[in-house]
Amino acid sequence: MLRRFDVHRVTSVAEAVALRQRFGEDAAIYAGGTELLLAMKMGVARWPHLIDVKPIGSLAQISASTDTLRIGATATHWDIERNPLVAEALPALAQLEANVANVRVRAAGTLAGNLAFGEPHADPPSMLIALGARVLLEGRAGSRSVAVAEFITGMYETALAADEVIVAIEIPLPGKNVRAVYVKFQILERPSVGVAALGTVRDGRFVGAPTVVVGAVDEMARPVPTAQFAGADARDAGTLEAIADAARAAVEPIADLAGSVEFKRHLVGVITQRACAALAAEAL
Amino acid sequence: MGTREIRLRVNRGERRVVIEDQTLLIELVRGLGLVGTKLSCDSQVCGACTVLLDGRPVSSCTTLAIEADGKPVETIEGLADGTKLHPLQEAFIERFAFQCGYCTPGMIVSAKALLDAHPEPDVAKVRHWMEGNICRCTGYQTIVEAVLDAADQMRSAR
Amino acid sequence: MKQAHRVVGTSARRADAVAKVTGGARYTVDLSVPGMAYAFVVRSTRAHAAITGIDRTAAAASPGVIRVLIGDDLLAAGLTPYYGHVVLDHPVLAIERVRFQGEPVAVVVAETKREAAEAAELVDVSYEDLPVVIDAQEALKPDAPVLHERRGERVGDEGMDEGEKGLVGNVCAIARVEWGNIDEAFAGAHLVVEGEYRYPMLYGYAMEPYNALAFFDQGDLVVFSTAQHVYMVRRDLARMFHLPLARVRVSAPYVGGGYGTKSYTKVEGMTAAAAFFTGRAVKLDLSVEEAMLTTRSASAHIRARSAFTADGRLLGRDFQIVMNNGAYTDNTPLVNSKTANRCFGPYRIPALRVVARSVFTNTVPSSSLRGFGAPQGNIAGELQMDEAAAKLGIDPVELRLRNLVGPGEEFMPGKRPLDADLKDDLRCLASSLEWPGTSIGRSIGLGVSASDAGAYPTSTAAVRIHSDASVTLFTGSTELGQGSRTVLAQIVAEELGVALETVGVVNGDTGVVTYERTTGASRTTTITGRAVQEACRDARQRVRDLAVQAFDLPRGDIEDIPGGIRARGRDLSYGEVIEKWFGAGGEVLGHGAVRRAEGFAKMPPFYEIGCTGLELSVDRETGQVHVIKLTTVGDVGFAINPALVHGQDAGAAMMGLGAALHEELIYEGGQLVNPNVVDYRVPRFADIPDDMVHLLAERADGSGPFGAKGAGEGAGNTVGSATASAIGRLLGIFPHELPATPERVWRLIREAERRGRSQ
Repeated sequence: MLRRFDVHRVTSVAEAVALRQRFGEDAAIYAGGTELLLAMKMGVARWPHLIDVKPIGSLAQISASTDTLRIGATATHWDIERNPLVAEALPALAQLEANVANVRVRAAGTLAGNLAFGEPHADPPSMLIALGARVLLEGRAGSRSVAVAEFITGMYETALAADEVIVAIEIPLPGKNVRAVYVKFQILERPSVGVAALGTVRDGRFVGAPTVVVGAVDEMARPVPTAQFAGADARDAGTLEAIADAARAAVEPIADLAGSVEFKRHLVGVITQRACAALAAEAL
Repeated sequence: MGTREIRLRVNRGERRVVIEDQTLLIELVRGLGLVGTKLSCDSQVCGACTVLLDGRPVSSCTTLAIEADGKPVETIEGLADGTKLHPLQEAFIERFAFQCGYCTPGMIVSAKALLDAHPEPDVAKVRHWMEGNICRCTGYQTIVEAVLDAADQMRSAR
Repeated sequence: MKQAHRVVGTSARRADAVAKVTGGARYTVDLSVPGMAYAFVVRSTRAHAAITGIDRTAAAASPGVIRVLIGDDLLAAGLTPYYGHVVLDHPVLAIERVRFQGEPVAVVVAETKREAAEAAELVDVSYEDLPVVIDAQEALKPDAPVLHERRGERVGDEGMDEGEKGLVGNVCAIARVEWGNIDEAFAGAHLVVEGEYRYPMLYGYAMEPYNALAFFDQGDLVVFSTAQHVYMVRRDLARMFHLPLARVRVSAPYVGGGYGTKSYTKVEGMTAAAAFFTGRAVKLDLSVEEAMLTTRSASAHIRARSAFTADGRLLGRDFQIVMNNGAYTDNTPLVNSKTANRCFGPYRIPALRVVARSVFTNTVPSSSLRGFGAPQGNIAGELQMDEAAAKLGIDPVELRLRNLVGPGEEFMPGKRPLDADLKDDLRCLASSLEWPGTSIGRSIGLGVSASDAGAYPTSTAAVRIHSDASVTLFTGSTELGQGSRTVLAQIVAEELGVALETVGVVNGDTGVVTYERTTGASRTTTITGRAVQEACRDARQRVRDLAVQAFDLPRGDIEDIPGGIRARGRDLSYGEVIEKWFGAGGEVLGHGAVRRAEGFAKMPPFYEIGCTGLELSVDRETGQVHVIKLTTVGDVGFAINPALVHGQDAGAAMMGLGAALHEELIYEGGQLVNPNVVDYRVPRFADIPDDMVHLLAERADGSGPFGAKGAGEGAGNTVGSATASAIGRLLGIFPHELPATPERVWRLIREAERRGRSQ
């Protein structure tokens, strides 16, 4: 049972923006509702007006150009998992999407919605940040794009302005030889640690530095400084341990029912090593 | 805005229902007397409330009823054809894949969506798809067996 | 040696099969009556406080509200506002004081649930905080806040505890078991294993939360609810409303999960009170979160010592048990007593001392949960057998075999001797798991237990044989999923020699069927089953009586055959005898009753055997446990329906695994931190062991029908201790606290590394 609210179905982004302006904090953008409706049910938030953007056809599209994958704001995890463009260009993302929450959440929940909610224990942000993805926004002042890394600003906090609407997520396609992996540790309903790793390994060495982003353990996903591992021996235990060290130092884990700060920090190291080892296993 | 009238196809029947924007799909379904769909956790994690909305399994406890406007909704009551049970229902019976039965409608509906999307799943696929459905009685193994049996049954019937 | 049976002993299709797979099964939550009103509970936000005021004005004026009830209203109306299985200390709605966060303080009744919920937010309760105590050991201290300065009226039950002696401060119940000379035993020991063990507070999570529908029908109280024990709830409500038992009807349709959590009165009192004060039919549905604030199971902290000879024979065992039973008594004296009986195991123990105390704290009241003290006791008792084996260098299976009592042997003075061959069961289990296992990085743990069944053997049943020879069984047993409707129908079909499809069952309704004490404690097959057999015997007797009169037959000449009788070489069906006697239509009624006499004179009526083991591996970097294989041995005497026994064993084992690895209710400063299924982690599909094997041991050695004993709890009772022992053997340190979460296991690994002991 939910408190009363009104759903406004809009057929254009402009209409959505206008309603955002009109209702201010009393309105939220609604697509899948998997985070939104749950928050309302739990009483942690309340919006008397929901702006349903699903009727905007362009927002559902997933398209690709030679160097970019564009995922519309109302594309669900289910759609993304199954989309042939995603499978072809970013199989690691398809796989990540296939393991978000449960099948029912995937059937209705959107990737954009996941980002908009700023849930700290989420899978997608670390991968999207590692890929250098950007969020495309439209508001009263027009369009802008914000790197996912800057879009999520804290726990349940984003850079979305009160009049803005997410239109799409744009992911620059990594080079032909770049591999991506996502490894997570999860016991409860949400992941406790998720590590996205990107890179190329040739003849056992990293080509340039690997990209490593740790998510689900801190208030937001944290990139790990890895410049010093450019050209490092990707299969060497010492390298992996050093990357794990860097990852552990890059996060401030939040203690909760899934574990203490100490244990989670330890897990960050373990999962980072496993992600990087998996990357090395996809070597050229 | 008050109330809204929507039209939807529920199982084999067309219905016209008056709802409010915040009405949940489970409230609509159970309000139509289709009480096979159950409420348990009320937070999307247990699957007891699973129905198919336009062919996809959704948590009806956390889905707005307005989403069903103009769309087909399938509940557990829609699976059997009169007294002829669906192969999943037969398999659940044969394999003793339920005890108290409270999770069963959601479990079977979820399995139907699985077999619609993946007619020949392996054990890992079944477990992964059904991961979002909780059962407290059976220990799950007989449910996996029932789903695989049903898949076999349906394949040989094609 | 198995006899040939027609119906019992077969995995007959469940009687409720079609109903449950088509969504046609009706649970209390699905029931409604025209003009029904809805209730919503206002709950305490404080863990311990005096109620200084409840302002209902705004709530009462809220749209749609019919009435706002508080505890004082029940007092003022002359009702008995307290209930409880042993002590009447549990207020229907808080009176003067709240003793746990979530305790019901008021109930709002309105035309719709939404209106009731909205009005509930307007009820203004003022509190004066009192000191809070959450931990049982803290609650035992002399300066601890006392929850019950005045104890409620003791209505007693089954004499399972010490009564009122020693119940001071926050001690809710005490049980002692003692024999032999304990000091001598320990003085003379070659090895003493000593340790402290902890078992968590658990939530059963029956997926249908507590709910009830109540109304007064021309002065009679009618309640539909999720109750396992409809007759006990009837008694509680009769007492509450000062009604004769005959004027109270409690009925449970299909119940969406019980596991003991729906034993005794839960929301029925509140719902009936709402109906009483409004004159309306009232529906009260709790959410899962509210259900988690209603009942839980008791945690245990056990200090144990076990003394052994050099060749691993027990000389003595000593257990000091402290359990945390929450804010009210409920059935704590029983659980406490059973934990005391079930901690030391089915072994030859020359000297024993057990002192078990259950303690009030400002937490959700604890009550029954599957296992009923055995899982708690085993984490100390069974695990110490493994710890001793490790220290003595003796194989843990061999160590157990040296100490286990044999069939027909008494191991608790004055009680029924053991009715099981545990050594054979254990060997069977070990063999299935390929004990001792040879793979590096994997470890096997197993355990044996014999629970003295808590079921008091009072049961009745009735069968009606109709003029077409079909049969209706009346039983007060409730269908929780365990399959009671099916098993009992199979017994009827077997006894009367009719086809199973022609047996109908009407159950769980005190206004319609005959008296059944409880549905739980794994008693239905054994005790209710015997009552059903007696009812069938009685029915056959009546058929013979009718035949004598209708066909003018000498009594001695009549023989029972399947479906009827044979006399003078002629076979007559039940229907033919009935129709002949009545002339047209008619029926025969048979009634059966069992009590604590004859086969059930010696208590316990049977022992429920637990013989479960598993093989697991541990991810040393994350502490995550993976279960490779799990085997249960169902020593049930005779499986009336093997598939249903397997189902119970699988479910019990999985629940045991939940507690062993993940489940734990967590309190922080008076607040229950995880009262929902997102944060309280029950087993999922991903937790299924790679391989699960369910074996049956049927030696017809039970006091139930065809030599049956109870099933439903046993298979889970040693999962916790077996898991701890497997982890212990793998890591070189035995975990003493469950659940063995990844973090706890990881810390053990580090500790083992520090001590330089791991494999």
